[in-house]
Order: sequence, then structure tokens, then C-alpha cells
Amino acid sequence: MPIEESPKVTRRSTRSSSSVTVENPEPSESHLPTVDDLTFGKESITLDAVLSIFPGRRSQIFDLIRLMGPLNCPTLPIMIYGGASTGKTSVVLQVLRHLNRPFVYSSCRTCYTPRILFESILNQLLLHRKCSSNGYSSAKRCDKPSDFVNLLREALSNVIESLESGSRTSRPNKSDGKPMGKMVYLILDNVDLIRDWDKGSMILQFLFSLHTVLKMPQLGIILISGLPPDVYYSNMGYTDPLPLYFPEYSEEDLRQIFLRNQANRKLYSAFLDVVLKPFCRVTRSVEELCTTFSSLFRKYCEPLDDLGISPNEDMKRRLYSNLKPLIASCLNEIFRVSSHPHDGDTRGERRQKASCSSENREELEILDFHMSTSAKYLLIAAFLASRNPATLDASMFDSTGGMDNRKRKRKASEKSMEKKEIAEQEAVMKGPGSFPLERLLAIFQCIASVGDSSFGEEEEAEDEDPTGYEKENSNLMSDILLQVSSLCDANFLIKSGSCPLEGSIRYRSMVSEDLALKAARSLNFPLSKYLYRR
Amino acid sequence: MAPSGTVADPLPTSTNDSFNSGDTSENDIRPFFVLHKASSGSNLHGKLNGTVKSKRRIESPTPKIAKRSEVESVEEDGQFFSTLRLKVFETVWSKIEKTIADVLRNSNSKVFSGIYDWIRESFESIVSSGALRISEAVRSYPVLTQASSKQLLTAMVLTRNLEMVDDLLTFQELELQLKTQGCHVAKLSSMDFSAKTSVGGCLRGLLRQFVMPTIDVADVTILASWYRENKNHDNPVVIIVDDTERCCGSVLSDLILILSEWAVKVPIFLVMGVSTAHDAPRKILSVNALQRLCAIRFTLSSPAERMDAVLEAVFLRPCSGFTVSHKVAIFMRSYFLCQDGTLTSFVRTLKIACLQHFSSEPLSIMLEHFCQDGINQLSDKGTGLLTEATMKHAFHLPSVTRNKITRSTYEMLPQFLSDLQRMPNPWSIVILCIYEAGKYDKVRLLDIFCETLDPEARYLRYFSPSATANCQTHDSGRSCVIRRVLRKLRDLSPSQLSNMLKSWENLTADFSEINDKVMELHPFMRSVEAAGQRQGLPNSPKKHASRSISKHEKELKAMTDKVAVVIEFMLREYMKPVENVPFHEILCFKDVDKLQSALLGDPRGRIQSDLLESHNILHCVCCSKRGTNLLPSMHDTSILYTLAQEHADVINLHDWYQSFKTILVPRTSKAKPKSKSSSKSKKRKDICEEPEAPAEALIQARFCRAVMELQIAGLIRMPSKRRPDFVQRVAFGS
Repeated sequence: MPIEESPKVTRRSTRSSSSVTVENPEPSESHLPTVDDLTFGKESITLDAVLSIFPGRRSQIFDLIRLMGPLNCPTLPIMIYGGASTGKTSVVLQVLRHLNRPFVYSSCRTCYTPRILFESILNQLLLHRKCSSNGYSSAKRCDKPSDFVNLLREALSNVIESLESGSRTSRPNKSDGKPMGKMVYLILDNVDLIRDWDKGSMILQFLFSLHTVLKMPQLGIILISGLPPDVYYSNMGYTDPLPLYFPEYSEEDLRQIFLRNQANRKLYSAFLDVVLKPFCRVTRSVEELCTTFSSLFRKYCEPLDDLGISPNEDMKRRLYSNLKPLIASCLNEIFRVSSHPHDGDTRGERRQKASCSSENREELEILDFHMSTSAKYLLIAAFLASRNPATLDASMFDSTGGMDNRKRKRKASEKSMEKKEIAEQEAVMKGPGSFPLERLLAIFQCIASVGDSSFGEEEEAEDEDPTGYEKENSNLMSDILLQVSSLCDANFLIKSGSCPLEGSIRYRSMVSEDLALKAARSLNFPLSKYLYRR
Repeated sequence: MAPSGTVADPLPTSTNDSFNSGDTSENDIRPFFVLHKASSGSNLHGKLNGTVKSKRRIESPTPKIAKRSEVESVEEDGQFFSTLRLKVFETVWSKIEKTIADVLRNSNSKVFSGIYDWIRESFESIVSSGALRISEAVRSYPVLTQASSKQLLTAMVLTRNLEMVDDLLTFQELELQLKTQGCHVAKLSSMDFSAKTSVGGCLRGLLRQFVMPTIDVADVTILASWYRENKNHDNPVVIIVDDTERCCGSVLSDLILILSEWAVKVPIFLVMGVSTAHDAPRKILSVNALQRLCAIRFTLSSPAERMDAVLEAVFLRPCSGFTVSHKVAIFMRSYFLCQDGTLTSFVRTLKIACLQHFSSEPLSIMLEHFCQDGINQLSDKGTGLLTEATMKHAFHLPSVTRNKITRSTYEMLPQFLSDLQRMPNPWSIVILCIYEAGKYDKVRLLDIFCETLDPEARYLRYFSPSATANCQTHDSGRSCVIRRVLRKLRDLSPSQLSNMLKSWENLTADFSEINDKVMELHPFMRSVEAAGQRQGLPNSPKKHASRSISKHEKELKAMTDKVAVVIEFMLREYMKPVENVPFHEILCFKDVDKLQSALLGDPRGRIQSDLLESHNILHCVCCSKRGTNLLPSMHDTSILYTLAQEHADVINLHDWYQSFKTILVPRTSKAKPKSKSSSKSKKRKDICEEPEAPAEALIQARFCRAVMELQIAGLIRMPSKRRPDFVQRVAFGS
């Protein structure tokens, strides 16, 4: 999980304050970055302001400031950890803004290889900016950790030198955005992602021991991670970073967070009364809640003409009853696709039509994308092959075999029933079974020939025609391997196995029963007859 | 096995066989060098392929070929005509192709403009909420804003077809259109999202398209810096991923996460083509990535809808004059529905049909004049091209002899031809009218088209009163599309009816006979509408009508009866299927077998049947008289595969080898091979002497190679660990 900055600072508030500052005119294209750019860039804020932006983070903020120590005091590496969207990154950045100290920030999400990570850090320290005139190249090419140490040392000493000279000349005014002190902080975000990198453990060890290797007290290292420090420990003889935990927000904290910057706090508070509790049980990630709430709040306000009113009890109740049906559906989904206005109309209309003309035998509309008939049969065959045990194929596709099976089932004793239940649960845990291509094709052939008798009536108007239809049956088989590959492409089948020449490749159907039923219905194929139910 | 492969690419084959007049000379040498594989020198090799191919074609029993060869032999300037036909084919096909491209563009334009509007609107709202300064925008740390600003605006474009082929072009066009409207567009395909190159690969692809081709390290910060340069930030950045389902999910998730971190600094719009259900991304993307998508859905027209549009433009509107027969249309329809539901393959089928028509029909050059719009050019210029031989051919066409038109009516030919040219007009108008009527019932134009092409016009049966009862009993389930349309007419609401009448009026505007009939309906329509308004229920369908509005109902029924009468009139008077018209062979492609063999390769079945009957391809002397027994001179793989037929699905390797060996080493007598070798040439002798004493090692080696070849052809599977001395037959297809 990436570390999200907390949402408490709206862009509007920071922007309005920055537009007031006269000292900071809009930089032109040729603006050259200076050491000043290593700070947060806007005028610093007071501690109270920081505390007020982050409700429920008071102790963490004080801890962080304490760990970083007073001005020009060397610090040990700090590791900040906690779940997603708990304000780790934003707290660090805002605290540094408050302290007005220079820092360098790199996220391991954006810098997805060691080289990009190293070069990104060096670019910031060397005040280098990629642009078309330098061919978007980095200041220094740096692949290896050893090179990085040397280059970092060099760059760092330059920066500190200019910081020292700067601090000698500048006024001791805290709020002008000039960097304070001779310490540079290195913030590495999303450190947990490094574990998935190629040779990630090596890079992690290097970063953890960077402080001791570099031997420069002027560099303070702050690591931000979604995982607790335990996962990184490896007894490699470096000093462990000082941990700082950001716990999940409580419900009350979340209320505070969401109430900030609301135009009509009373209305929003009424809204939160309704939604916060159920949603908190699902997730406490501010980011997730924020997107859900913003759309829900829009729905909530829909019946209102004036958004400035403060709702009374009766109105609250009415608004709630309005919203109630939506909440349950929102709780379960993380991914919503809204439809475009033009688009939605036509689709809605089609839906209606489909339901209206229920006597219409053509139910193809239910499957809302096009598949050729043979692909549909193949899909069903794959579904059957994945769900049914291979040993039952013979009985399933034999007209008499199915009966035998049922008889045996009736005779089963209590104990064997129990066993069966366990086996059933196991099968559910295992998911769809895999099958070789030959089995798929055999089942396909069976059901395509069975289905054709009923299918001919539905799809083929001309099967009284002596020429067309006879050939078609055999042709259904001809391009079948092509269809297999296109089903694979659509993620309906997944392949596993090794050498294709060996023929040991196995497939697995990833289709939900729902979709398979839809496909079967469009072919008038009796799927449930062939499905083995334990 | 070369010939089995050629079925898949019929274009060169058919041109080869029809325009290659040197067949006969090559036929002589064929058995000679097929037998002696070693001597099939490089210079002859190309020719060999050619002959084998054309031979296969010739074997297919089509009477036309005999006719053609006769024509060619008679004519000295056959070459001239064949090149001319090829030229005409090119003009005709380019016209059809252009028509199709236009139709497809039109069908997409609405969705495209919808996407563009959405991008513009969202971009304006992003810009208006406050621009970033350059130092902010290229900084490595995030802009601290609301969490929702990390959302990546995404358009899900539903292509509604499992196959992706049709939509590659669609997305290319979308890219082009967005580019001309000023967006920065990059198009990524599933190739860029491979697990091997991970997220770096697709970022590199992006930067290559946006920034410059030579990027050392693919870093998002480059994108951010580039976006802030040279007014680039006046326009949105659009990334098109055309086949989302085929992408590696983890890589795509990574890209989405990275881009969403920069979403505030670089406003990125993602356009994802989804070919199945709209929740397909849920299956491939990680939860984190899904949360970052703020998705909106756009739906392209379905393949069937597009197909109808193409059909209308190519066959029913004046286009090229080229048309297909009933059987070909049925075949194309079932190929589309059952095999490969893509428009691309439909167009390819059409192209093959067109090419084969031109290659087999000498008179097809006349299509050039149909292609041009001039009506009367034909009479002078067209007949000028008609030489004596082609005239003779024309009067031997089945449709001409059937109608008893003889040479005596020579002067009538231009008349017939211009009739032919005029003929489709009322016909297509009627089809389109029926299509209009069936639209409310979602009747496909493709079905109507196929049905009306039927030369025996079986749909007309439904009108004769005697047949009506008959039909209802015997094929009530079978869908006769036109009958269905007629039946459903009664369910139409007045507003639907009046819409239908309006569109009929437009359709028939150029054809006064039908138009008059349609105009006659208008007063009735008006009275129906008036009655409906009086009841205050203008839109209610018949079903919900209560007793009180029975008058309205009666009017409506009278109206639909009138409409049905008009449809019947149109069908009876003007539905003259193209195949009943004399000289229609000039325009109409009929040979469904040829098309089928060109289109359905069936490579697996082909390999097996070719292996079993290799002598049909090799045409060696020895095998042609072998009957059913195997000869040592046969190809090893072929021998082995024939032997394998005797086994069940597992084959004991030892038994197999032994029987292989007995065939290579004939035990019976020495006289047989001797007599052979004496009768044949020296080169044959080498081969036939070989089986006399093939060493054990040689036989083993040949056995191994043959088994390997069978394995590579996918016919057998190698021994498993469980049963080391058995191979398994992968028996399927033959």
C-alpha cells in the first residue's frame, strides 16, 4: 500500500496563501533552481497550523519534531510507518515546512529502479532540472550504490557549503521560505516497494546503512514505509532507524478530517452521521472514503435547493431515506463506472426494451458483448472442464451415465456425505480446476454437437436449406484453436504449463458461473444439466 | 505439407491459378522431381510450389475452369483481359473499401466526439481550479491537496466484441482525431505492458511518443518537465490503451499508480478499450489501482450494428455493383455468427469473393462501368470491349440459357445490361423499408438481406393464403425474418408507425411507384394519431388498451393492415432476387465452395488427411498404383501416421517401430524391387535400391525423425514418465 498524503490541506487554501506572497513571483521558464528550492517552497507555517491540519496526529507530530531535534542537530535515521492514507507523507512534509529546513524527497513509486532513485536524489541536490535543452537527462549517471555514495557526498558538501554561506547573509526571519540550518533531510517514500525490486533486499540494506556508510552528520534520513520495520530487519550491523508509528484514524478523527473545509458544516455533519459509521467498518483509508463520500454527498444534496441551510431532524430523516438504498451498494464496490450522459441513455433504453419484450426468444442482448457461436461453446466447455471432475466426463456426456451417478449418491451413508462436504469445501478453496487442451476440445465437440440440434432451430433460419447447414457443423471445429487463443486473450481462460511441444500445457477457466449461464442461455444450451453439483 | 498452408492465403493462389497459363508445361515435370527430393534444386523450387498449388485448385470440380481454359486457349489476347480484369478488380475493390471505411468512421464519430467533449470539460475544470507554478509542477514531492485529486480520469470504451481485431483501427482513428483536436496522445498496446519489461517498458513507450524517441531512463519526471515546456500545458494528455484485457495486470496497475501520483501535475486522461464486460478491469487490476480510476463509460456500436451499416452501404446503396448470391450470403452470415465474429473477417471474405469473381468470370470487367455512375456509357464503350469470344461466353451463361435468350437477340444485350444496372434499386429500397419496419423488433439487416436473396423467393409463400396455414404448422419455430416483421407490425405503437412511415417516405423518394403507395398511407396515419390523441394515450401499445379506446385500437389495426398490404405489394412487385435476372453472373459471385475452401483452412484436419493420402500431393508413380498397402518409397512420416491409425489413443513404440521396419524391409521377395528398378530411370534406382538393405541404425534414425515430425505437427504426444514406451495420439480433427 502506498503512503498517501492526508487530504486535510486543500489546494485552495495553500494557493490563496501563496498568491499573497509578493516575494515569490511566478518563475519564468529560465528560472534556475537555487538552494532555496530545497525547502517546501512556500512560507512556513506555525506549529499550531500544522496541528490543526492534522486532527488526531498531535503526538506523532511532536514525536517527529523531537526526533529531528533542534536546528543543526544531527539525527539518526527515522522510519515512519503505518497503514495507507494515514497522513505519513503529508505530516513529514508539513513539519519540514514548519521547520523550514531543506530536504530532498523521492518516492520509490515514481522512482521504480535504483538508478532512477539515485539520480532523482542527486538531481535535487545538484539543483538540476530535466528539460529539453539538456535532453531530459540527469545530472549524473549513477547505477551503483558505491557510485551513489561518492556522488552524494560530493553533492551534499556543496549544498551544505552554500547553505552555510546563505545562512550567514540572510536575516533570521523564519517565515520567508529561506532554508534554516545546515542539515539536509532525505525523505524516501514508499520504501516497502523496494522489496519487490530486482535485488531489492540489497538496495534496502544499502539504504538502511547509508547513514553509517556516508559518515556525514549533516544528512538526516527519513524513511516512510507502509510496512512495520520488523520486515526489514536482517542483522546486518547497521543502526536500526528510530520507528514512528502512525495508527489508523479513529472514527472521531475521520469526522474531524472530513468536516474541515466544508462549506456547510451542519449539513455535512448530518451526512457524516449517516455514512461514517457503516463505512468505517469497511475501511478507514481517507482516500477511499473521500472519493466515495464526495459522490454520495452529491446524491445526498440532490433534493435540496439551497445548500446553505442547516437541516432539522425531519429533513435529515428524509435525506437519509433518500440515501439509504445507495449506501449498501457503495459499501461493496471499490470500482464504479459511471456512464456518459449520451451513452447512458441509449443503454438504459436498450435495457428497458429487453425487459419489455420478454416474449422475444432472442435473449442475446443479455450478453452485452459479441461472441461467435463457437467461442460461446468453447467458453461453456471450458467452464464445464474446470468445474466438473475429469472422471465424470464420460458419465456426463453419456446419456445414461448421469443416472448412475445419482443413484450412487442416494445410497451414500452419513459418513461419506460428510466426507463429500469436506471435499466440496476443499474444491471451493481450490477454485476452478485446470484441464488439458484435449479435454477441452473433447467436451467442446460433445456439447457443440448436442447443442446444435436445439441451436439449429434458433440461430439458423435456413437449415432446411440442404447446402448450408451440413457443412457448418464440421466447420464449427475448424478455427477452434484460434478461438482458444482469443479466449485466453480476454482472460476467460488462463494458461499454465511449460513447453507447448510437450503438450502438457493446462488451461483454467476464469469465467464466473453467471457469465457462463448467460452464454449458455444465448445458445439455448442446457448448462445446468451438465454441471456436476456435489 | 506445404499445400495445406496455402489454403490460408488464398489470394496469391487464386491469382496464380487463373492468370498462369503455363500450367501444362509444368505438369510434365511434376512427378519427376517430386520423387527425387534431393534434386529439387533451388531454381525449380518456386515453380514446384506454384504447380502444386494450382494443381489443387484445378482438382476442385468446377465447370467454370474448363470453360475458362477453353476461352483462354481460343483467345490470343487472354493475357490482356486478365490484366484488365485485375485492374477492374482494383478499382471496384478500392471503391468498396472506401465505402466501408467511411461507414465505420461514421459509426464511431458520435462516440469519439463524446470522448473529446468529456476530455475537454474535465480539463477545463482542472485548469480552472488553479494552475501550478512550474517549480511546483516538476518537484518530486506531491502537491498536498485533496485525496480525490489523485484520481485518474478514465474512459472505458466498450467495444462489445470478444475479438479485438476490428477495434485496432477504431483506436487508431480515435488517436488521430484527438491529435488533430490538439490533445497530446500516446497509444499503448498490450505489447507495452509485458511482465518482462515491467512498468519501465510502458513508460518508455509513453515518453517516446510524447517527448522524444531517445530517452535514456524512462522517468515520469521527464513527462512532468516536458509538460511544462513550450505551452504543452495548454492541452490535456491522453493515453490510449486499446486492449486492456490483454495487458499484464500488475504492470498496468503500476503505471496507473505512478500516473495517479502525478495526476495533479500532469492532467492525464486514460482511454481504455475494454472488449468484454465493463467490469473487466476489476479482474486484472489491483485494488489500489482500481481506487485511483475515476471511470466513465462509452459504448461503441456492436459488431452486428456495424455489420448492418456496412451491408447497407456496400450492397443496398449504389456502390460498386458487385453482389453475392444467396448461398454466398448465407455462408458469410454463418461465418460471421458462428466462426469469427469480426467485421475484419467479413471484409476479408468479401474481398476474397470479389477477387475470385474477377478471376473466374471473364465478363466481370463490365463492373467497371457499374462502378462509374454514368448510366449510358455502357451501351457503346462497354460493348466495345466485348469480343466474339466473350460474347459467346455471355450467351452460354446459365441464366441466359435458362431464359432462352439466344444470339438472335444480340442487340438486346445492352438493354439487358442497363436493366441489370437499374435492377437493384427498387429491390434495395424494399429491403431497407422492411429493415425500417423491423428495427423496433431488433431485426438484423443481415438476416433480411440473406432471406431476400433467395432465388426461389420462399418468403413469398407466406402471402399466398393456402400456404399460410401450412407454414404456421410446419415451421412455426423457424424464423422467417420477413414474416416475423409482418407479425410484429401489429405491436407497433402509433408513434413508431409514423416514424416508420417517415423513413419510408425518405427511402422511396426516388422511386415513384412505391412512393405513391406510401403516400396513400398518410391519411390513415393521421386519423390514427388523431384517435390516439383523443384518448390521451398516444404512446400506449395495443396490449394496454382498455375497452374504452377500442375505436383507437380499431383504427390502429386498420392502419397496420394497410401497412402490411403495402409491404406485400412491394415484395411481390419488386423483390426480384438478383439470381433470377439474365446476365446476373456478371455481377454476382456464386461459388460458395470456392470461397469456403479459401476461407476455412482447417489446417489440423488438412495435415492429417494429407499425411494419409500423400500420394495425392506427391503424384509419384509408385504410390499411385499401390492401392491400400504401404510402400517403402513413401514418405516416412506418412507411413508412420498411417500405421498409427491402427492403434488406439496410445501407441506402443516398439510395436510401431516393428511395423515401420517391416514396411521398409520387405520380407517377401527380392524380385519386386528389382523389377521396379529396372523399369525406371537411373535416379529412381538409387532410391529403390535403398530399401534392400537399410541398416538398423538408419531405420531407427528415420523412425525417430518421423516421430519427431508428427510431434511437431501436433499429432502425437511424447512418452510420459508414467508410461515411457507409449506415445499418445492427440486424436482430434480428422
